[in-house]
Amino acid sequence: MEYMPAFRLHRPASVEEAVALAAGDPAVRFLAGGTDMVVNIRRGIERPTALVDLSAIPELGAIDIDSGALRIGAAVTLARLAADPRVAAVWTAVAEAAGSVAGPTHRAYGTVGGNLCLDTRCLYYNQSEWWRSSNDYCLKHRGSVCHVAPGGKQCFAVFSGDLTPGLLIHDATVDLVGPGGRRTIPLGDLYRDDGMDHLALAAGEMVAAVRVPAPPRGARSGYLKSRVRGSIDFPLAGVAALVVSSDGLATDIRVAVTGVNPRPHRIRGIDVHRGHALDDNALDAIREAVRTQAKPMKTTTVAPWYRRRVVGALARRLVARLASS
Amino acid sequence: MMDGAGPVRSIGVPTPLVDGPEKVSGKARYAADYLGHDILVGRIWRSPVAHARILAVDVTKAQALPGVVAAVTGADCDKTFGVLPVAMNEYPLARERVRYRGEPVAAIAAIDAETAQRALDLIAVEFAPLPAYFSAVDARAPGAVLLHDDKPGNVERHATYAIGDVDAGFAAADLVREETYHCAEVCQVQSEPHAALAEYDAERDELTVRCSTQVPFYVHLMLARTLDMEKSRIRVIKPHIGGGFGCRTETLAIELIAALLARKAKGRVRIVATREETFITHRGRPEQTTRLRIGLTRDGRITAVECETVQRGGAYSGYGIVTILYSGSMIFAIYDVPAARYDGYRIATNTPPPGAFRGHGTVNVRFAFESLLDRMAAELGLDPFAVRRANLLKAPTFTANDLMVNSYGLPDCLDRVEAASGWRTRKGRLGPNRGLGMACSHYVSGASKPVHWTGEPHATVNLKLDFDGSITLLTGAAEIGQGSSTVLVQCVAEVLGLDIGRIRIIAADSAVTPKDNGSYSSRVTYMVGNAAIEAANNLKAVLVKAAADRLGVRVEDVECLGESYRAGRQDEGLSFDDVVKAALADAGTITVKGNFSTIPASHGGKKYRGAAIGGTMAFAYAAQVVEVSVDPDTAEIRVEKVWVAHDCGRALNPLAVEGQVQGSVWMGMGQALSEETRYHDGLGITGNMLDYRVPTIVESPPIEVHIVEAADPHGPFGAKEAGESSLAGFLPALANAIEDAIGIRPTELPVTPDRLMALMEKRARDGRATKAS
Amino acid sequence: MKTVLSLRLNGRPRDDVVPDNLLLVDYLREAVGLTGTKIGCDGGECGCCTVLIDGRPRHACLTLAAACQGTVVETIEALETGGRLSAIQRAFHEKLGAQCGFCTPGMVMAAEGLLRANPRPNEADIRDGMAANICRCTGYVKIIEAVEAAAREIAP
Repeated sequence: MEYMPAFRLHRPASVEEAVALAAGDPAVRFLAGGTDMVVNIRRGIERPTALVDLSAIPELGAIDIDSGALRIGAAVTLARLAADPRVAAVWTAVAEAAGSVAGPTHRAYGTVGGNLCLDTRCLYYNQSEWWRSSNDYCLKHRGSVCHVAPGGKQCFAVFSGDLTPGLLIHDATVDLVGPGGRRTIPLGDLYRDDGMDHLALAAGEMVAAVRVPAPPRGARSGYLKSRVRGSIDFPLAGVAALVVSSDGLATDIRVAVTGVNPRPHRIRGIDVHRGHALDDNALDAIREAVRTQAKPMKTTTVAPWYRRRVVGALARRLVARLASS
Repeated sequence: MMDGAGPVRSIGVPTPLVDGPEKVSGKARYAADYLGHDILVGRIWRSPVAHARILAVDVTKAQALPGVVAAVTGADCDKTFGVLPVAMNEYPLARERVRYRGEPVAAIAAIDAETAQRALDLIAVEFAPLPAYFSAVDARAPGAVLLHDDKPGNVERHATYAIGDVDAGFAAADLVREETYHCAEVCQVQSEPHAALAEYDAERDELTVRCSTQVPFYVHLMLARTLDMEKSRIRVIKPHIGGGFGCRTETLAIELIAALLARKAKGRVRIVATREETFITHRGRPEQTTRLRIGLTRDGRITAVECETVQRGGAYSGYGIVTILYSGSMIFAIYDVPAARYDGYRIATNTPPPGAFRGHGTVNVRFAFESLLDRMAAELGLDPFAVRRANLLKAPTFTANDLMVNSYGLPDCLDRVEAASGWRTRKGRLGPNRGLGMACSHYVSGASKPVHWTGEPHATVNLKLDFDGSITLLTGAAEIGQGSSTVLVQCVAEVLGLDIGRIRIIAADSAVTPKDNGSYSSRVTYMVGNAAIEAANNLKAVLVKAAADRLGVRVEDVECLGESYRAGRQDEGLSFDDVVKAALADAGTITVKGNFSTIPASHGGKKYRGAAIGGTMAFAYAAQVVEVSVDPDTAEIRVEKVWVAHDCGRALNPLAVEGQVQGSVWMGMGQALSEETRYHDGLGITGNMLDYRVPTIVESPPIEVHIVEAADPHGPFGAKEAGESSLAGFLPALANAIEDAIGIRPTELPVTPDRLMALMEKRARDGRATKAS
Repeated sequence: MKTVLSLRLNGRPRDDVVPDNLLLVDYLREAVGLTGTKIGCDGGECGCCTVLIDGRPRHACLTLAAACQGTVVETIEALETGGRLSAIQRAFHEKLGAQCGFCTPGMVMAAEGLLRANPRPNEADIRDGMAANICRCTGYVKIIEAVEAAAREIAP
């Protein structure tokens, strides 16, 4: 029988109740599917005093489309999101990303909110308590040394959520609820470039929903990821792209990446290709921009230089496909 | 009697496993599945350091915790254990020294998991660190501290031979090439984490252990040794086993610790290892670097082979000596190799001990051999099939290192996969980034000399026939998912002409079943199968005699039709039940037995120390073609299809043979593409099923199996092994296919995308440099 | 820190007092005694503990028992009818989709979930649907054959 630390489990029926249960105790954690949280509890990475299970809150379980805009409740499962034909038709990258997370069983109960708030990952962090204690822990948890970049004080644990880039290129925002009430922020602002503390959530605050506006007319989007195995693995690198083409010219190009930095982000500096044909030179330039802005470190068994190259290669391939389709 | 009903045929009939219904319904009980209110939770305190002297182990606080029933340390057991009688240097719980991170140091038994965890946290151990070595190179460096005082230079074993005139062979060659190949360490990752339930009966001083083992007999011996108990007071029961692939051939510390705890607690203790602990326990295939040199004539004949190989042997001897000997001996017995020189070094390092992994010792050297042979064939302008055909053996024969080869289906294997894959029309013509590669491999059908040599028969099977007309087959052979129970039932059913449903099997309970040497080196079908046939023939003789007496005819006039016995075509005959009644009337419940022993000619040679390793009654052979595509941008490899032909002598159960061959090929694919253990200062960094990447269903290819039946004269109905030979060939066939696809030949496994991209970029750089110059 | 858990397990209603931190897999195996559901890894990597909750596959090793309040839970032990194997179980047996059998309960439950959602899957659907379950024996070839055979049986 597995040893599990003791904690209370709350099953609130409303968001307000959930927030109230979490207020005042920084060791309370929200629980949705649990595909990541429960593993981390089992490993002693998380030691919650209480878990607030969000699965019984109706508000968090809806996918709505209103006036062309999409709203996804945080507790919507990845499988449901991937299978929604309305999402796949308009926000293709989001559906493709949702359908590529881990394996089918994980997607059947893993949630949108959980994927957006996924803890950052590192070879030296995602290990058992025995392992980490034998290795003097690490900067991110209980220790003072980074084993990825010894001597440094920065944590390079990488964000590996698949959904985020596809939402970033669609200018998504997130609805947050916390002790201070409700607020909506751009999804990009949810993340910080710090593997130790990568979510810009206030104490006791949770993601309630993601809002995605209608994409520009004629937009095509998609998601590609690299992993050694065709299932289960976290992405070594993931790329979402959106292209709007008109008369052979690209009027809009957006690219975002995951799996290569502590912070998932939109690729900067590719607007220069707007209004031009996406020829080989332009595609090469986009690839280089992605490679330059991806800064993978040795947080996986696969070499960081490879992840940088492959994220560029996937971005080039994806943009080329979207531009020509 | 039924008119015209003849004996039921079982051999050669695709047969679902006799224990299949339990497995698919969730009823099958594995070692972790025995429940009881009184069963204590056993947990192991493992060393956080790689190499150190133990100054103190203090379990007093843990022991004082309410709910803790027993604690044990190295002080509780001063006996070593190990699979090889000549190399037992491991303690169930470390004494004086720890030699790898994760080595068991202490253990506790408590009333529940939470108490057990709290107790572990209260154990205090003081260490004095020693220099630690995580690679064979570092451990061999001059001045390195010795892991074991009796292993100078940290060399566990230097295996060496020179067979034939190697120098003359190279001198006679038209082409000599040398290359170095590297294979990462891989782990079995059988589905079931290790588990053991030990029950100590203090009233009787008796111990019963159920554990996840391939060889209950070895567990029995090691329990007796480490607990200093009489063997007769120990009972080992093998429950269902969730795979093994070799790591459970050796007795593992887990079952011994469970027993030590149970005796101290005077009760029942269950230890269920985590997946991480199962990785730490290791016993997989070692990291191995092989420098290989081959000489060929211009028509492709092998003139000489030279091989130097180094294995990172881990902290304890385990199976190491045998592994490094297999790497050398199995250079032979697949092709006609007239001369070879071998130097194999097994090096002690501060990493978990490797052991026997499917294809024991042979796989990494076969990768080197078939890769280099392919490269040289290309240089000579020879087809890869042609160069293999130029070196075929002619059975019956003995190899230059005295291995007995009586049956040899490799030529047919080559023909079958060449045709099935469309090799002649497709090779080199699949377009960019797609290619075909092929390779051959072989393996033994049981080691002819068991490591615990007692002079007893290699296998014994008992059959019991009772008043109810049912036949109970008693065997010590461990069913571990390979289908051994099914094939033994088939053998008995075939001889008696009965439906397999008449035969019940009880396997591997030392109180009930005859001793068996266990499920390793593909010995069960061959050895225990032969014993089962002999037992069935003995039973049949009893039944025929009883029928003859009842029918009033001579024994030689009785015809056995399975469910009936008759004296002639017109005879009414006797039903099986009548014959059983007649037989029991004379003798009561009937028990018969059958034995099997290997013949001395199969025991391997004496030309060098350890030459017996490799000796077997029969070799099985395989050839395979692998089709791959390579993504030029991401360096991802996709295996599109595999065609494999396996010479198993006779497919006793063609369904199981297919399953075994597919599983072998696929396991080779895992080693070739994605699997490897890695360490951070000796701390296993891939001790989970995310970072250690066993292939999923998504990237697993169709595997088309062609069964070749080159019947072996001594095999049970001609059968040989089916579950290992096909593994090794996949690795070089993949490398050769990658070469065909993109012109790059990987020499380091696994060919992860980063490794392949490094090779592709190196070629691009070299190409630019060449153009610039 | 205990909850009264009420659920429907393998067709029977149950009420059990469970600690909040109890994993569903430990509830099933140790508390109820349904040991068909296996533990093959340290959390969500192997699929051996796959069960159906409200008809959808889920890892019992990453699910808290107390979070299953009011759900319908089905394990491998639920599939037989009248002591006879279900079509999927029979296909795994007859096609040799199970060798050592340890991944089999999870594999069969994943197949059960797949075929309920998609009774006529093609090979690609089967690969996608079974991709969270690791088998170490078969190379998956005969598992695919087994699911195909079961699908033909269930939805000809």
